[in-house]
Amino acid sequence: MIDLHTADDRAVRDTSGSYGPVRTGGRVALFFRRSKLGSYTLVAIVTIIFLFPMLYLFNTALKSNAEFAANPVGLVQHPHWENFVNAWQQGNFKDIILNSVLYTIAGASIGTFIALVMGFPVARGYIRGRKLWNALFVLVLFLPNALVTQFQLLLRLNLYDSRLGYILMVGVGVGIGPLLFSGFASSIPRELDEAAASDGVGYWRYLFTFIVPLAKPALATVFILQAVWIWNEIILATVLLADPSKFPVTVGLYAFKGTYSNQWGLLAAATFIVAAPLIVGYVFLQRFLVNGVLGAVKG
Amino acid sequence: MATRQSRPSWTFRRAVAVTAAAGTLFAVGACGSSTAAGDGGSSVGTPSASGSSGSAGDIKGDLHILVSSADASDAAFRAINEAFSAKYPDVKVDFSSVPNDSYPATKSSRLTANNVDIFVVKSLVEVPEYAKGSESDDALLAEGGGLVDLTNEPFMKDYTPSVLQAQAFKGKQYMVPTGLSYSTGVYYNKKIFSDNGIDVPTTWDELVAACDKLEKAGVTPFGIGGKDEWPAGLLMLGSVASLYPTLDDKQQLAKDLWEQKVKLTDEGPQGVLEKVAKIYSYAQKNFAGTGYDQIPAEFAKGDFAMTADGTWNEPTIAAAVGDKFDIGYFPFPGSDNADDNKFLNGKIELQLAVSAGSKNKDAALAWLGFFSDPANYKTFVAKSGFSSAEPNIPATDFLDSIADYTSTYQPAWDQVWTANNKAGSQAVYPFNYPAIAPMGKDDAAGAAAAAETDWSAAF
Amino acid sequence: MANPSPTFPFPRRAPVRITFGLALGILTLFGLVPAVAVLVVSFTDLRGLPYIPVHWIGFENFIEFFSPAHWSDNLNALVNTLIFAGASTIIQIVFALGIAILLNRKLRGTSIYRSIVFMPTVLGVTVIGLIWSLMFNPSGGPAAEILGWFGKSSAFLGDPNLALALVTGVQIWAIVGVSVIIFLSGLQAIPHELYEVSSIDGASSWSQFRFVTMPMLSPAMTANVLLGVVNALQSYQLTYVLTGPSNRATQVLSLLVYVQGFGGKSGTTLSQSQGYAAAISMVQFVLVGVITFLALWYLRKREVRL
Repeated sequence: MIDLHTADDRAVRDTSGSYGPVRTGGRVALFFRRSKLGSYTLVAIVTIIFLFPMLYLFNTALKSNAEFAANPVGLVQHPHWENFVNAWQQGNFKDIILNSVLYTIAGASIGTFIALVMGFPVARGYIRGRKLWNALFVLVLFLPNALVTQFQLLLRLNLYDSRLGYILMVGVGVGIGPLLFSGFASSIPRELDEAAASDGVGYWRYLFTFIVPLAKPALATVFILQAVWIWNEIILATVLLADPSKFPVTVGLYAFKGTYSNQWGLLAAATFIVAAPLIVGYVFLQRFLVNGVLGAVKG
Repeated sequence: MATRQSRPSWTFRRAVAVTAAAGTLFAVGACGSSTAAGDGGSSVGTPSASGSSGSAGDIKGDLHILVSSADASDAAFRAINEAFSAKYPDVKVDFSSVPNDSYPATKSSRLTANNVDIFVVKSLVEVPEYAKGSESDDALLAEGGGLVDLTNEPFMKDYTPSVLQAQAFKGKQYMVPTGLSYSTGVYYNKKIFSDNGIDVPTTWDELVAACDKLEKAGVTPFGIGGKDEWPAGLLMLGSVASLYPTLDDKQQLAKDLWEQKVKLTDEGPQGVLEKVAKIYSYAQKNFAGTGYDQIPAEFAKGDFAMTADGTWNEPTIAAAVGDKFDIGYFPFPGSDNADDNKFLNGKIELQLAVSAGSKNKDAALAWLGFFSDPANYKTFVAKSGFSSAEPNIPATDFLDSIADYTSTYQPAWDQVWTANNKAGSQAVYPFNYPAIAPMGKDDAAGAAAAAETDWSAAF
Repeated sequence: MANPSPTFPFPRRAPVRITFGLALGILTLFGLVPAVAVLVVSFTDLRGLPYIPVHWIGFENFIEFFSPAHWSDNLNALVNTLIFAGASTIIQIVFALGIAILLNRKLRGTSIYRSIVFMPTVLGVTVIGLIWSLMFNPSGGPAAEILGWFGKSSAFLGDPNLALALVTGVQIWAIVGVSVIIFLSGLQAIPHELYEVSSIDGASSWSQFRFVTMPMLSPAMTANVLLGVVNALQSYQLTYVLTGPSNRATQVLSLLVYVQGFGGKSGTTLSQSQGYAAAISMVQFVLVGVITFLALWYLRKREVRL
């Protein structure tokens, strides 16, 4: 892929034979846009902005309360590894992380399922009332904030303070999913359907064994968009769940903060405990995640 | 062609109608079933297992208790729960303590889901004539039959009659008072005071003079936990306590404000804000970002000489300070007249009520009886830092030291004032202390004017 | 039977209808019914607690919303929402574009930098909120330290003049990753020949950016702006964690709904009013709808022009 520098460098050398100030910007701008060093500097700045907070968190997690009060910013002198142990025991983190994982995977799966089995027929016109369904997909993007009634609904259905109830509630937060998938589905050639049908493949088999692998990037995007939302969801969980053993990470960590609000060493350790598995998981999955988003946007 | 067009629109209309119908049905169903539940649940306390003499074998099942959180009282409750579980081994006690901010939300959802037996009620007071329509949630709850009537329960006799009288609602008792605490005092660092030759101030001028002296000596006079907002409100309560010393004064002020005979920009009410603003100017830098929980540690470090806090926090502050120096407590002297500043104002602490829809009333009443038993209540009071609501309970040394200030129980302004739901949020207290810089953006006059605008807009 | 849709090649229609119907059913019951019910509830005086009777009160909640008493609070929340949404969307798109261009150059380890920038999305709101509360700790932290070099200090999130700006900043930090990825993919799809041709014609980098890069990124830009605006107008999770729900300086409409519906301000006798909260939700719904359609219309116009 082209390097913008080479084209420009050629042009500059042709006209003036030197790297003097050019049409666009002064020397400094030139430095940043031309040389690799400039690029690396900027990249370094960006990296610091994104990595430093995590490192600071880890540093704080190792401090005792006294050390933090005395010297909040400096590098930790006497690492208190037991902060992690204490935080783990007092915060019940294994449970809340597992809860979040459960809610996210189950909820996003439901949402992706909905996007798939609704988006595909609508894109193909296999269901009547195409205009209606498309309008519905758009409407789903802006539903009003229905906290109050969602709570009442789960109550009537006896699903208050139950994992199933919460999963169903977050599962229908499909947002842009059906719309996105519907758009993608129209790009799959119709001939494929006809070919499969003439081979005697039923609709369900076709959908799940042909379309799903083909649409992996789009499905991955839909899944990821909803998964990120569910992972970050805190208010619905506060209202719909009462039993602390069912709390997702968001609520659990926030409650932990409420209880230990000024013991930053402990608090930072707890935050780190929650963040670490995410980061580890992310490092392994990131290629998949990022490519998923990339791929689907192309589609 | 025509049929093809009409079918989608027919489907559309039908879909909309069905969804709307479903939505209406269940929203309406919401009111229907809640009142139905109300009929089934309201009752007078049943004469089953009474107080501490109930046989341990009868009481079993799950007991859900929900309270709003505070360090010391949480520890005290847990101690009681342990002892209770020892006596009634068949009861499984589920104790939740939730931070103040999320308490109303949690209480509301758990009550609606009928998932709580004993919980803390707030502001369960009868609303005066002039303020009809502004009953608190819990008052409406009691009126609607959502709380169990505890008037005839045997354990209520353990409590001091004057306290019970102060918390009666329409002649009945709906809650157990776990204690009293005082909110208008100021903790001070005795060592800093003696090092700088300052005596305990008894008038406003003396307080200002003391603060000036401290500033000159390079000591921050006051510490405020502004991030949580309400700790700054304690200064407001202290000012009102001194400027309107008796209960009558306060009630008259409330009435006058509601009847619009007095404006929030008048000398008296604005004077409250001016005092608060003055103390803000003596407080530590950027106190708007300091959390309430950081104050004990910073006070212990000697970062500031005084802090306005309640007696409920004494155990935490004492624990933080340890042996470093001695602590004292005096009423906030907002008035120029020393007599007005003599008494601390207080409130009845965490009041526990039983939900009418409770699935285990027996266990709930047994727990309350156990709690009220002077033998157990003594432990609670000792750990929680509350003053006793029962007679003849030995007080902690700290509470003894302030006995002079508490010889007459004076309810604080927040126990007397009824907020108006129709008024804007700047008129909620109604003294608009959060709007004064650096908590907000105005000075005292500006804050008062904004509050008056919000207040008068309700009429 | 007339078949109005294009030919359906599969033997039986039933499977399509079954799965579609199932998905539709779940979506309707848990998603649409509550949404419609909010409209209904906004015409009542529903309270948060049982045993309290409910009445139909028509437009009273809406009148109260616009009434002089509450108007200053509601206007405050509206303005906060608009500032928060507008600033965070615009600024994060500008940054995302810049970072994407930066990462698009042939540098070593681009994929690592890409992952680092995307990481906040994975961490989650509460973790991010706690990290930045720590960073902005007024009693001692990196931000306080840096200000200290200039001889100043600040209450950061406690300072009403700064709070909204800080919260917006953290929001940008949290969501810029997704936009970067989308822009990167758009950039990588731009054919190289366009740059070669334009520079042979003597175009400067800036002109190339304006006339080659930007137009080709138009779909990605639309996607980002749309996603960003709709999200930002309804996003309140981060604000909730950083400054709590009732902080006037940062209260956005969604938090107002939460406070009104589930938590009267602690320490007061104010009651929860879920009917009124539902009315606020409806107003927010209209607001989001209007703004999104305006944004869509403007972006479509731009795309057509190109």
